[in-house]
Amino acid sequence: MDDAFAAPADAPWQRLPTALAWYRRLVTGAACLAVGGGGVLLLLLWGQPLLAGVWAGLLLVTAVVLWFLAGRFQRSWGYAEASAELYLTYGVLVRQLVVVPYGRMQVVDVTADLLEQALGIATVRVRTAASTADTRVVGLPLADAVQLRDRLAARSESFSTGL
Amino acid sequence: MLPPPHARGGPPPMPPPRPQQVADVTTGVFRAHWLIIPFQVIAVTLVFVALVGPILTQFGFAWVLVLAVAVVFGSLAYALPAWWYGSFGLREDHLVVHSGLLMRSSREIPLSRLQAVDVVQPLLMQVFGLAELRIELAGGDGSAIRLRCLRRKVAERLRVAVLAHAAGLPGRSPEAPEWPFYRLPFLLLLGALTFRVPVLLSFILLLLLVTAFLVFLEPGVLGGAVPLLLGLLRYYWGPLARYTDFYASLSSDGLRLRYGMFQRRMQTVPPGRVQAVRVVEPLLWRALGVARVEATVAGYAGARQGDSTDLLPVAPLGRAYSLVNELFPESEAAMVPLVVNRALLSTAAGTDERLFVSVRGLFCRVTEIVPVERMQTLRLSAGPIARIRGRVTVDVDTPPGPVAARAPAREAVQGRRFLDALVEYGRRARVPSAGTERWATRATMHGESVTKRYEGEESEDLKGDTPER
Repeated sequence: MDDAFAAPADAPWQRLPTALAWYRRLVTGAACLAVGGGGVLLLLLWGQPLLAGVWAGLLLVTAVVLWFLAGRFQRSWGYAEASAELYLTYGVLVRQLVVVPYGRMQVVDVTADLLEQALGIATVRVRTAASTADTRVVGLPLADAVQLRDRLAARSESFSTGL
Repeated sequence: MLPPPHARGGPPPMPPPRPQQVADVTTGVFRAHWLIIPFQVIAVTLVFVALVGPILTQFGFAWVLVLAVAVVFGSLAYALPAWWYGSFGLREDHLVVHSGLLMRSSREIPLSRLQAVDVVQPLLMQVFGLAELRIELAGGDGSAIRLRCLRRKVAERLRVAVLAHAAGLPGRSPEAPEWPFYRLPFLLLLGALTFRVPVLLSFILLLLLVTAFLVFLEPGVLGGAVPLLLGLLRYYWGPLARYTDFYASLSSDGLRLRYGMFQRRMQTVPPGRVQAVRVVEPLLWRALGVARVEATVAGYAGARQGDSTDLLPVAPLGRAYSLVNELFPESEAAMVPLVVNRALLSTAAGTDERLFVSVRGLFCRVTEIVPVERMQTLRLSAGPIARIRGRVTVDVDTPPGPVAARAPAREAVQGRRFLDALVEYGRRARVPSAGTERWATRATMHGESVTKRYEGEESEDLKGDTPER
């Protein structure tokens, strides 16, 4: 199975820094805390301390599972710049390998939300005319992301073949 | 007192040139036909009377009349300047469209980007000899240019000029000649549309309900007939009225389709604008040997024209495949070697150097054909269950449309080989500068071959991986 998702012949997988895992841990942790805290408060007002404890336990387990999954998710990500295509691989549950020819890239942009900015990472998003594939490189250090964007934009110009 | 010039040896005066019915459309500024003003005024007034009228009748009929007259003049005061300012014209190979009165907007559209051109005639416009020109650009909804209420001659000539500009020819070039490809007999359309499992079942159910009503005189039974009737209207009467008098022809401008009973349409899809094609054969149609051909054309996405993606509503299978071969020259869709998947019943996929073909469907067979140079992205995916079974799915992504080509549940290593072969073929097929803008300037017409240059990058040593047969 791993052979099927191997890197292309002329470029190794570039892996991403652990900041991506921390980003996801913070997001999922905050979500679990909000849902758990709200649920517990409601159940205590309802007068069901036992159920509140069960609820808190459930959310704690979920948070721990997501914590470990975030690490696996970050390790599953990779990108490789082959001679004429960008290769992406990601996914823990559904493993994916996406091949985007440089000539097919319509728009390449870099985005970073507040938390990403705090962690110093950014997302490079590649848009093609097909809207089905999710083609992003997430969690790159900002400087690398900008360089990658410039490289991809330049190649999409030089390989351009129209629509 | 001078004698007239020809008496002095000069040339005789030329008779003043007769004003032509249709001027040269490549220069000058055009507007919609003035009939658009009464159309708009009448429409606004009718809507006003229908919505507000019932409320106003309580105050007396005079009020309705006075306010209706006020609305007529108000809408006239808006429609007249809007018509005057809403102009368009060709400037070199750009179409410049000015529109709006309060929100003035002027768009300049590079015609080399156009994806398709349609001339549409709704019933009301047919009566007055008017037509609407629709120019589809890549970029999804809202990027279509609609020029309403043109004289039919002007619309036709604009279509020719726009296509000529997009092809890189001067706009005054005459319309490209066409040769007939397929005329759909009405009886075949009627028969094929009737001869489908859902339609037949609906008819039978409807008959049963009506007989039940007649026998038991139970009006409640007819409640079940309403959804059936609606379904039949949509899926039986709709296509029947739409594709009456269907005629397809080929020209160097691409594929031309003319059809319609109440709304005449003339579609033109330039060459190379078809991103992918699928041939659909419902269960009962296979017995008749007919199929439907649908295409993904960038710009035709969205529900607004979801069903104008049919290139051939009904056609014999041989005709359907010869159309596919016309659309993707130098390739033979029926000759692509298919690998039958033993894990999943009745699915097969294969590729050669030009086309990716996948077949699926046990009852309604769908053959999806994507030229490798038009693939946007390629995906290999494996869900948790597929990973236990050691299977992967290869997806070939194209712009939004009816076609979704995929090779499901392949063995892992074989699937990867398949993907690598597709990447390789795509790389060879996507020769730079082989875009389809200004197609007439490059000899990519029917029968003439494209020079295939392979622009090698750094790595010339390519493994000739082909999927297992």
